[in-house]
Amino acid sequence: ILDDPDLKDIDPTVLKHCHAAAATCILEAGKQKADVSAISTCLEDCKLDKERIEQFCTEYQKNKDALEILLGSIGRSPLHITDVSWRLEYQIKNNQLHKTYQPSYLVTLNVENSDSGSHPDVRFSCTMEQLQDLVGKLKDAAKSLERATQM
Amino acid sequence: KLNIGVDTIQHGVEGLVYLLTESSKLMASIPFRKISEVDFQDSIHVLGFSDELNKSLLQLYLDNRKEIRSILGELAPRLPSYHSLEWRLDVQLASRSLRQQIKPAVTMKLHLNQNEDQTAQVLQTDPATLLHLIQQLEQALGEMKMNHCRRIVRNMK
Repeated sequence: ILDDPDLKDIDPTVLKHCHAAAATCILEAGKQKADVSAISTCLEDCKLDKERIEQFCTEYQKNKDALEILLGSIGRSPLHITDVSWRLEYQIKNNQLHKTYQPSYLVTLNVENSDSGSHPDVRFSCTMEQLQDLVGKLKDAAKSLERATQM
Repeated sequence: KLNIGVDTIQHGVEGLVYLLTESSKLMASIPFRKISEVDFQDSIHVLGFSDELNKSLLQLYLDNRKEIRSILGELAPRLPSYHSLEWRLDVQLASRSLRQQIKPAVTMKLHLNQNEDQTAQVLQTDPATLLHLIQQLEQALGEMKMNHCRRIVRNMK
């Protein structure tokens, strides 16, 4: 804003105050999920004229959804799983033991940190039975989700 | 009590250990294949011991083979392995930055074993990703039943 040619005649301190005030107002409105009438009332109390209030509200409505998504994504949460990859392998021998003949799955869970964005993946190996156990438990969770949405 | 030097005994023990672990490592532990016994007998014959000693060694090998193989199996390089999974359903209703939300999530605790330590990791995912995970992992399970895998498992024994 400080570089905008239209605004260069205005004292920078005043500009900063205006910007901060507008941002605070918008964020509070977003946080409380305020509707247009509530915002209008609030701005009327601040002695803004009708035209300005209307302009503000229109702009706010246009960006309301994006604002809500942004606000909703702020906050701490455990590592978030974004994807999974797997590999099926069949072991024939290793340097400790020959003729092992064992199939196993290598599963990698791609995870994201809410703060920094990336995080080393969670990797583990499992047998077919263990993978069946894991999938069974995940399916229980999904069924439980479905039931919850029907309540 | 045996009246032999410590070194000799140590060498004797080390020799026995080497003999048993190498034999267990290399030979298939399929009970009905007598060939592995013959292999063992041929190998120790070279050492020039008495017949009685050879028989005892063979018996020692056969008796302990399975256990030795399972212990050797634990020594191989391994990734952390799956132990169990706990899960729960959460719905976020509000946060410091946004009130009046309805955000469902599945929170999980993944228990893994790594070299005798158990670790637990807390993870979270959204419903859409959960369904994606289930689909992908079911595909993975399906692979074992495919002809390709079956053929390889059959032919490599």
